[in-house]
Amino acid sequence: MVNVLKKTHEAWIVTLMASFMSKTVENKTVLNDFSDILFRHFTWIERELIKAGIDYDYNRDNVPIKVGNLKMILSNIASRLNELELMLPNIQNEALRFRLETDWDYIRFTVNTLKDEKITAFDANRTYKDINLSQEAVDSFTLFLFEESYKEYELIMIYNYLKAHFNDDFLNKIFQILVDESFFHLKSFGNMMAEMGILAVPRVLHKSLYQIEDVVQFLKDGIDEELAAKEQCKTLSESVARDSEELSRFFDFINYQENYHIELMKEALEYYSKKGSIEYYDKKGING
Amino acid sequence: MQNMDEEIIAHMSNPNNYGRMENPDSIGIGENPLNGEKVIIYIKVEKDCNDYFISDIAFEAIACMTTVVAGSIITQEARDLTFDKCEELIAVTLGMLESVPPEEAACSEMVAVALKAAMDGYLLSQETGEKKTLIYKIEQSCSPDKEFSAQAAKEE
Repeated sequence: MVNVLKKTHEAWIVTLMASFMSKTVENKTVLNDFSDILFRHFTWIERELIKAGIDYDYNRDNVPIKVGNLKMILSNIASRLNELELMLPNIQNEALRFRLETDWDYIRFTVNTLKDEKITAFDANRTYKDINLSQEAVDSFTLFLFEESYKEYELIMIYNYLKAHFNDDFLNKIFQILVDESFFHLKSFGNMMAEMGILAVPRVLHKSLYQIEDVVQFLKDGIDEELAAKEQCKTLSESVARDSEELSRFFDFINYQENYHIELMKEALEYYSKKGSIEYYDKKGING
Repeated sequence: MQNMDEEIIAHMSNPNNYGRMENPDSIGIGENPLNGEKVIIYIKVEKDCNDYFISDIAFEAIACMTTVVAGSIITQEARDLTFDKCEELIAVTLGMLESVPPEEAACSEMVAVALKAAMDGYLLSQETGEKKTLIYKIEQSCSPDKEFSAQAAKEE
């Protein structure tokens, strides 16, 4: 079942990247929805692993995504689902097994019907919607997208891991909000990277990032990181303000969103610190 | 990161040798004690005519994109090099960092000291028969022109 988790993780990433590289609304919407479904599969398989007390991590293989047309990546998604189907007997939960099988069947059928597109997400044009930016602003924007797309992926995985392991409704509600928020940011940055021809898969996470030993320190560091991200957005907004109101407003928008994240993390920190010990699941079952 | 060109973008998009290696002969860690950022280097080692050389290498970075680019470049250079040549590579890398802003120097320094830790760890394991993960901390000043402030630690 650990391999099913790993392969589902990879299929989710490829489908998400395919949604970024597509330029037609119809294809993008379908692929985006399918990537969300595959992520949900990932969380359900993870839940089964935790229930069964099986040790796992979020390691995965590197997933190549550089293609010249959409059909190539769609065919890659279908192959990945074929490979996953062969692993179905490893899923003991009958309801989940049926759900996965029928979802994969429909996804495979549908991706084969999507219209082909020429892909420009890897041409390194580094222009965004014909906006004329200085070389310095283009470089800062490029670095920001690489850094932050990875960061959002990292946050999704960290909060997801915490949510899967904590047996606490209050904390898990906060973690779920933060997962949803990071998904929005990742999708925004991924689409921008595709537009600029620099789309790339976020690198694999080291397990020490999500198998957190000191939750209090993690939340404190997280607040500091959010404050740094706000500052970075502010700087970027100012650096592009003269050339593009659209981009400037976008960075302000992301900057202001971070305020709420910080408040949520402070709330989680206060709650966790007061409670002292929270039940969490590990491979030995439930612990306090 | 200055002068971002296509080559740098290629390293950021798809860094060479990135990821965890199963069953490495040695693991070395380079760490920035100021912010906790670290680079983990995994190596497989073979012997040819009495010289140890790196037959396979991988790295992971809990750090910024500049570190990832440095890891991509340095690990690619180190692949198939003998330990002696790797020592030269590390010395040259650290020498070049003298003209780089300190915050960027720290990124490459972390990769260089992680590589050094992996090689030293391997040599130590040959002497003692026991595998240890060495952690070398970079200079707090981010100044590369001093001796390594080496601190061996046992992870497992």
